[in-house]
Amino acid sequence: MAMNPMEQFTIKPIVPLYIGGYDVSFTNQSLLMVVVAVAASLFLTLAMTRRRLVPSRTQSMAEMSYEFVANMIQSSTGEDGLRFFPFVFTLFVFVLFSNFFGMVPGSFTVTSQIAVTFALASLVILTVIVTGFAKHGIGFLKLFVPKAPLPLLFLLVPIEVISFLTRPISLSVRLFANMLAGHTMLAVFAGFVVLLGGAGGVLSVLSIAPMFLIVAIMLLELLVAFLQAYVFAILTCIYLNEALHLHDHH
Amino acid sequence: MAAQEPENLRELGERLDDAQKRNAKRDVRPPPTQLGIASRFATELVAALLVGGALGWGLDWLFGFFGIHTRPLFIVVFFVLGAAAGIRNVMRAATELNAEIAAHPATSAKDDKET
Repeated sequence: MAMNPMEQFTIKPIVPLYIGGYDVSFTNQSLLMVVVAVAASLFLTLAMTRRRLVPSRTQSMAEMSYEFVANMIQSSTGEDGLRFFPFVFTLFVFVLFSNFFGMVPGSFTVTSQIAVTFALASLVILTVIVTGFAKHGIGFLKLFVPKAPLPLLFLLVPIEVISFLTRPISLSVRLFANMLAGHTMLAVFAGFVVLLGGAGGVLSVLSIAPMFLIVAIMLLELLVAFLQAYVFAILTCIYLNEALHLHDHH
Repeated sequence: MAAQEPENLRELGERLDDAQKRNAKRDVRPPPTQLGIASRFATELVAALLVGGALGWGLDWLFGFFGIHTRPLFIVVFFVLGAAAGIRNVMRAATELNAEIAAHPATSAKDDKET
């Protein structure tokens, strides 16, 4: 049995595939992403096929997630932000389902890979940039010019540019680090159970203690899984808000 | 039968309105946790330093590519600018958090005692 707590994050090819010298194998990572996408689509479509005025449990779950995201967009970007509802909702559901599927023992956490979270964050920032230029034209660059005397601007504009470029990094690192840390912690405590159980005598009895801890951490991780999906979505909204209404924010 | 249904529905609507009014005070959004705040500030600060350093390194590389030797200059300047940007990020994150905490009067009262 592998005792390495980081072993769970290794990407293993399932169907090896090489195109033009590039490794494009279908891996456990790709499999879980397909599972997440299919599960999310199935859940949302099946929940809404038998629509009723008084919703069933699944229907009300789908409706609640819809309203949750819609409220979030409306409160942070206003009415015109609702155009981005499909984008934000897809991001939220994808991250949420990835995190929750990662909680299933023996599965794989898609969002614990920086490549995935950074791709998602880049998508967000590119959307922000495209929206900003589409809405304000070249005036979008005013985002980088704070109200200050001219000589100071030589210093402040680079700072603002760096600050903007930070966003995809902090957005992706936050999600990735949270999932990585949580799952590593679970694996470490699981390792304790095995080690203590195999030690024999009184120590074997003690192995029940880390077991209870794992249950507690598991609950915490479920909260983190939801919270991180929420944080990802709300930050997307905040960045979109800035692109939509340039300096309106305080 | 046909006349009874709208009556039922209206009653249901009233009950739903009542339930929603009772729940209106409870915000659906989860309040920010202490760990969440700490990790947010840390990533903002470190990410800005990384971006600043990377930009400086890239500029040095670019100038070196065209035969102008600037090697340590841009990386030093942009690392400092990155630090400033990090502080700017944290300030911005703090204003966002303040707004969020203001939406949760119960938690803000608890946080005030702690800090």
